[in-house]
Amino acid sequence: MSSYIARRLLWAVLTLLAVTFFTFLVFFALSPDPAVAICGQTCTPDRIATIQHQLGIDQPFLVQFGTFLKGIFAGRTYGEGASAIACQAPCIGHSFQNGEDVLTMIFGRLPVSVTLAVGAAVIWLVFGISLGLVSALKSETGWDRASMVVALAGVALPNYFLALVLQYVLVVKLQVLPFPSSVGFTEDPGLWFQSYLMPWIVLAFLYVALYARLTRTNVLDTLNENFMRTARAKGLPGSLILRRHALRPSLTPLVTLFGMDIATLLGGALITETVFGLNGVGKLAFDAVATNDQPVIMGVTLFAAFFVVIANIVVDLLYRFLDPRLRTVTR
Amino acid sequence: MSSAGLQEGSGSQPLLRARSLVKEFSVKSEGGGHKGTFRAVDDVSFDVYPGETTSIVGESGSGKSTTARIIAKLLEPTSGTLEFDGADVTRLGKRELQAFRSNVQVVFQDPFSSLNPRHTVEQIVSAPLRYQGMGNPKDYPRIVKELMVRVGLNPDHSGRHPAQFSGGQAQRIGIARALVVDPKLVICDEAVSALDVTVQAQVIYLLRDLQRERGFSYLFIAHDLAVVRQITHRVAVMSKGRVVEEGRRDDVFDDPKDEYTKTLLAAIPRINPEWDRARIAYEQLQMSGRPSAPGGSGALGTD
Amino acid sequence: MTQVRHPDEPAQTDGAPLLEVSNLSISFDTREGSSTVVDDISFRIDRHKTLGVVGESGSGKSMTSLAIMGLLPKGARTTGSVLFKGEELLGRSEKWLRKIRGDQIAMIFQDPLSSLNPYYTVGLQIEEAYLAHRGGGRKNARTVAIDAMRRVRITDAERRVDDYPHQFSGGMRQRIMIAMALTCEPDLIIADEPTTALDVTVQAQILELISMLQAETGAGMLFITHDLAVVSQVADAVHVLQNGQTMEAGPTEQIFSRPQDPYTRRLLAAVPRIDEVVDVPRPVFGGVQ
Repeated sequence: MSSYIARRLLWAVLTLLAVTFFTFLVFFALSPDPAVAICGQTCTPDRIATIQHQLGIDQPFLVQFGTFLKGIFAGRTYGEGASAIACQAPCIGHSFQNGEDVLTMIFGRLPVSVTLAVGAAVIWLVFGISLGLVSALKSETGWDRASMVVALAGVALPNYFLALVLQYVLVVKLQVLPFPSSVGFTEDPGLWFQSYLMPWIVLAFLYVALYARLTRTNVLDTLNENFMRTARAKGLPGSLILRRHALRPSLTPLVTLFGMDIATLLGGALITETVFGLNGVGKLAFDAVATNDQPVIMGVTLFAAFFVVIANIVVDLLYRFLDPRLRTVTR
Repeated sequence: MSSAGLQEGSGSQPLLRARSLVKEFSVKSEGGGHKGTFRAVDDVSFDVYPGETTSIVGESGSGKSTTARIIAKLLEPTSGTLEFDGADVTRLGKRELQAFRSNVQVVFQDPFSSLNPRHTVEQIVSAPLRYQGMGNPKDYPRIVKELMVRVGLNPDHSGRHPAQFSGGQAQRIGIARALVVDPKLVICDEAVSALDVTVQAQVIYLLRDLQRERGFSYLFIAHDLAVVRQITHRVAVMSKGRVVEEGRRDDVFDDPKDEYTKTLLAAIPRINPEWDRARIAYEQLQMSGRPSAPGGSGALGTD
Repeated sequence: MTQVRHPDEPAQTDGAPLLEVSNLSISFDTREGSSTVVDDISFRIDRHKTLGVVGESGSGKSMTSLAIMGLLPKGARTTGSVLFKGEELLGRSEKWLRKIRGDQIAMIFQDPLSSLNPYYTVGLQIEEAYLAHRGGGRKNARTVAIDAMRRVRITDAERRVDDYPHQFSGGMRQRIMIAMALTCEPDLIIADEPTTALDVTVQAQILELISMLQAETGAGMLFITHDLAVVSQVADAVHVLQNGQTMEAGPTEQIFSRPQDPYTRRLLAAVPRIDEVVDVPRPVFGGVQ
């Protein structure tokens, strides 16, 4: 098993390397003169020249890439002398526009994204799975069809539309919620909760739909399995049959999906954050794209990729543990 | 193509000669990532004579299916040789393989998964002719219909799809498909195992009849020894990848030498032979008493 | 059999059968109308005795067994009567049937791999049947499970009780299914093709095991199979089904040595014989299947 983990970690490293390489390549190829872009709105030719030198863009591509990689492990200094800018390890870039290390910026925004992701996750797990379960048990009835229509709506309606509708209904019309404000949990828990409620719902809506459908399908499949027939033939109580024999085979596949979903969200829920004005990693990316702050864009991309790769491994190991048939297999 | 007189011990040269076939699969064992090899087929040798049937029997995991795939050239053996019609066919190039396939065909166990469900019977049965570039495509419909009649299918159904047939009928489609190129050897890989017993009996009869008529050979893979006894001339018994006993049918069945063969034969459930004898006598009595008894005359009357 | 589970159960007379099926019919509503899968069949099973129900595919034999247990899929309609120890089983509530299932009537299915839940240990799956009907603690149930596994001759039962289904061979898994079925000492065992998916050497062992256990417990058995050779060895009486209808029924020896029905005769003649080559007369292809 340990050799398996070792191999997976190696693959993860290689994947991250490849992602970094291609991201770097894309930004390298796309920007004719990154210095101009990085310099931003308030620019002078002198500043451009300084930045050019600091970035070392006179170097060949591979050297630049190598420098970047080194920076991830050992930190990096842009330029030298008086105008030198230090970027602390691990350095995934430095925003010249904001004068901050990208990683610092990300960490500053991370709590918001995490709060958003976790809160939404709780909602979508509880509601999605329950909805799917009930639909499966009452399949082909009115309830089932109704909930599947809701599920379809969740997939079809764009995030921002739902966000605007919710805000209009709950904040403006019914006035049950205030406009979201960026207040910390420790400052005012009540307001904090009220602020996050709508973003949580909006973000969760899509996933509720997906998880409901998936749960429904899985449960229906499981109910048709031969071991369900055996459980009934043993005269077990209905609730036990459901709890024990139906749920586990149905829900275990969802674990992998959930891991990946939440990892992706930790890299920022771009639209939801932007619509609600939440300062998360997603909004950071959005703003960076708007101002063409390339180091930030690239940094966020790498950060998100890192999460996904790690989540992939964790989820894979977890799944192997949860399915007894895979525990003795190393492939 | 000798059709008459399939005497035991024809003394002719084997049509197919398998010698010391080995097939290894690499297996990663648990925990350590240490690679081992698993020998599915371990030094297997047997012969198939012209116009005769050689059966390979064994339980699950015996390696008989893997062996069949090697003979059908769907798998490459790790080592060993294969001789067909006097020529070495162990490793074949693309064109030689095509020629090989015009001489060696396969009938698989489940016609509903081995025949393309989207094709009509005519497409399925004429496909080998097309691939081999044999005959005139204009003749294909006629050839197919003739073959359908021969295997007991209604020729008017040549435009139907496999799913529209019963299990036994679909298997006949597979048989027709195998025979259309006039092969010298037909590999039957558990070809009757999935059929109901009355249908199975009819298909066994058909296979035997076709062999008598056209003189080709069968390599018959099965786990049911009773079925094998009805159709085979030679038997090779496999266990755990090895051939534990091999010989002519009556020798192996009536006088087995190997312990495993003996165990296998002893384990097979049998209908009490006294009951059988009583039944046959009883039926004959009834027949002679009422000569035109409906359906009572033969074992396989009409339905 | 010494349990006193039904204090008001009438004293078992020799005439009263354990299971009496009368005019059982099962049909399904399909888009094209109603389709009958079992048509007016009747039979009885006594304690200590085995009834073999044989038929080819589509004969309705499996449906019959499911009907007795009340396990038919949704949309099935049953008419007729199924009396178990004098009590009618058809039309009973799911709750009522659950008391009987696994406790007084147990079922052994064909494919032991898919019939066991891969996510739980075999011990748990044996225990839960016992716990559901007899109660008691987990510890006691575990002892029962280990004993049951020993009874079906699984070696090293103490350790293997915590193993998962995929860690056993096909034959062992079927032994586990049998162990599961016997935990509550049922009066009736329904075995639906219990050895079809097994190698023939394993089949012989399992059949012997089933016979032995039946003799020990005095249970009645309904043995469903397509294999006539097997049924000739295990059954006291045989019931031949084709397309949901009874073609012939009677004591085993009578069916095999003096079959009356043309289908029965055809069936018997078609069974390949291991001990000889039977040159089957040419069939008429007009009615080919």
